[in-house]
Amino acid sequence: MGTIGKRVYEALFLMDTAMAAADWDGTLKVIETVLSRGEAEILSIRKWDERKLAYDIDGKGRGTYILVYFRMDTQKVTVVERAIWLSEKIMRVMILRTDRMTQADMDRPTPIVLAETMPAGVDGVPAGIAPSAPSAPMAPMAPAAPSPN
Amino acid sequence: MAFKKKPMQRKKRFNTGIREQSQCRFCREKIDYVDYKDIPTLSKLLTNRGKIFSRKRSGNCASCQRKVKFAIKRARYMSLLPYSL
Ligand SMILES: [Zn+2]
Repeated sequence: MGTIGKRVYEALFLMDTAMAAADWDGTLKVIETVLSRGEAEILSIRKWDERKLAYDIDGKGRGTYILVYFRMDTQKVTVVERAIWLSEKIMRVMILRTDRMTQADMDRPTPIVLAETMPAGVDGVPAGIAPSAPSAPMAPMAPAAPSPN
Repeated sequence: MAFKKKPMQRKKRFNTGIREQSQCRFCREKIDYVDYKDIPTLSKLLTNRGKIFSRKRSGNCASCQRKVKFAIKRARYMSLLPYSL
């Protein structure tokens, strides 16, 4: 078998905001459990942002993003991906290899940190504009969704 | 004559002063990896309907446009950017 060994991966998890707000440690635990299936060594795990989604997923209009860096055996990725698919608490995930990224890419401050350090008006998050714009016309569709909130 | 003839406009000369940019914005900043999480940068490359600007419009070189394309598609999958509006 090809022994490529271990690699560092970046994963962005999209979790339910209501769950993350109610039980932050439990939310992290979900992610840690899934990664433990691949015997991953977690290098860092932090909240990336809590924001409005560009489109509704599972009837939810908001989501909490959690950014994780971990080192794992390359052979275990499929195992972890399968565990993620089976987890109903994880709405979306993006796992990427980090070989093309620089340390600066990985250390870049998260939007939530930027929002805290910068005065209210300037933060780039609402400036993303495009995603927030459709919210108004979509509002009538919302009533089905808000119950989880 | 009832109206004055406009003085002939001198032809604009593009070669003086402003040089056309020889590199795309990512090459200029020596960005090797286009991060799909960098929404402020990516949203500048979208129309207000959420479509990706053409290479001609964004001025990106072929390889950067490709990186941007993948970054935007990843961001869309994660619901950071819309598929369409
Ligand atoms: Zn370029």
